Amino acid sequence: MRLVRAELVKIRTTNAWWLFTLTAVVLAALTFLLNLVNTNYLLDHTDALTEGLGPEQQQAILAQLKPDVIAANLGTSGQFFGLLIVLVMGVMVATTEFFHQTVTTTFMTTPHRSTVIGAKLVASALLGALIWLVTSALTIPATLIYLASRHLDAGLGDASVLRAYGLNLLAYVLWAIFGVGFGVLLRSQIAATVTAIILYLAGYIGALIIFSVLENWLGWEWIQKLQVIVPSLASQLMVTNAELPGSPPQWLGAVVLIAYAAVSGVVGTLIVRTRDVS
Amino acid sequence: MSGGRIVVAGLTKQYKELRAVDNLSFNVEPGRITGFLGPNGAGKTTTLRMLLGLVKPTAGTATLDGQRYADLKDPLRHVGAVLEASSAHKGRSGINQLRVICAAAGLPRGRADEVLALVGLTPAAKRKFKGYSLGMRQRLGIAAAMLGDPRVLILDEPANGLDPEGIRWMRDLLKGLAAEGRTVLVSSHLLSEMELLADDLVIIAAGKLIRQGPLAEVMDSMGDIGTVRVRTPQAEAFAKQLTEQGATVTPAEGGLLRVSGLDAPAVGRAALAGQVELHELTTERPDLERVFLELTAGKAGIR
Repeated sequence: MRLVRAELVKIRTTNAWWLFTLTAVVLAALTFLLNLVNTNYLLDHTDALTEGLGPEQQQAILAQLKPDVIAANLGTSGQFFGLLIVLVMGVMVATTEFFHQTVTTTFMTTPHRSTVIGAKLVASALLGALIWLVTSALTIPATLIYLASRHLDAGLGDASVLRAYGLNLLAYVLWAIFGVGFGVLLRSQIAATVTAIILYLAGYIGALIIFSVLENWLGWEWIQKLQVIVPSLASQLMVTNAELPGSPPQWLGAVVLIAYAAVSGVVGTLIVRTRDVS
Repeated sequence: MSGGRIVVAGLTKQYKELRAVDNLSFNVEPGRITGFLGPNGAGKTTTLRMLLGLVKPTAGTATLDGQRYADLKDPLRHVGAVLEASSAHKGRSGINQLRVICAAAGLPRGRADEVLALVGLTPAAKRKFKGYSLGMRQRLGIAAAMLGDPRVLILDEPANGLDPEGIRWMRDLLKGLAAEGRTVLVSSHLLSEMELLADDLVIIAAGKLIRQGPLAEVMDSMGDIGTVRVRTPQAEAFAKQLTEQGATVTPAEGGLLRVSGLDAPAVGRAALAGQVELHELTTERPDLERVFLELTAGKAGIR
């Protein structure tokens, strides 16, 4: 427990923590505004937008405008960048020690290295939760105010809304843990940060393209379902509010993400345990 | 204060192609300052890192009162170490570097302020580490090592970057700590500094032990490179007399003779027997630097 506290002191005593939090808050505010404008426009021009569309497309737009979907969508604004930020933060929690060579002192203070990594995982998860809290403290009340102003009946009493917020928190925690595992694995601060960012972004865009190309090329429909093994897509699946037809179940996304966090953390720990520090 | 004996036995570290430390054995006793000497690349730092559980030995053990470092319950309460002056987060203040360690080691937060005062860094407590001079970084490192009030202190090249006043300060500090019964192990290549500081010496080269023992013994064991300075008005005659007794005599200006092969008492007796008037009779102890070079000659090099 005192090691977790030490890790938190380490983060608190540098500029990193407020830079990360500030960035997350600013980006959350911006995405919230963007979503707000978008939703507002859709709500105001529903009739004009759905005119002349097929029933299926109409259905899709109307589904987005259900009060609980709006509440979930607006309330989790900033998630895309927020998760990226906690990922990078997790990477930093692990790699800063190697970068500044403080790992020597850390391992001299605590020769049982696995407990050090464990403390980093916990501290990073706490930080992920903190960044979720700070961004949500902005977006959730703002969402509720907006919904009330539009006389839309949805809110924290709604199970699906609560679930969306809860899963959002889980995603923040898991990506933070994943970041530490990743950092311990690669050790080099720059390499780990860059790789993590690429993996995150490419996971969203690249994997989608690769999987649809593969599906078209091979003609196997189930390939599309393998998308869930890509961490970014697993995360997206997990936090998607509604179960979409044809996609794997939501819990699978959570399982995949937890598996990634666990595997990277454990493999990283095993490597660090025996590696020479010099 | 009791215990604190370091025993290194058969310690070996093999890197891919390089045997950095080769079957090294030596002891470090409490209450004394032990100088750990060797040319660059001799394996000093690797040895210290193995002692501190940071590097895994290929063979052999390094123990503190019979325990491996990794098995110590609260290591910082037993051992304090200063390894390299640059190992701190640049953006963190001096006092916070220490508070981090306090938190991790379960030491009271106030210890950070105490040790900072001990090394005279209180005025710079809140300054960020990147604003510290090399000397201040060394002091901060020593402060960190003192946090747990350890019985054993291990310092790797602590005099690096210290100005003469800083070196003097450190010498007094370490002597004081040894006088309290603590074990002090200091690695260095600054031989002149070691001569003033160390009680015992452990000399290594190419990863192997060259010699260990009390400073005076190590120096005396190199007695054949020591000389006796004699000044006399009868230089020529006395030189001849000494040469007859088997000494090698090198005359210099002003009636000065450098005699090797005989010690000072023997030279004195010879003067008495030959009724030679002496103006000076001094043993020129080989300085540590010469002993050191002699001992490690040919073993340094690039490995």
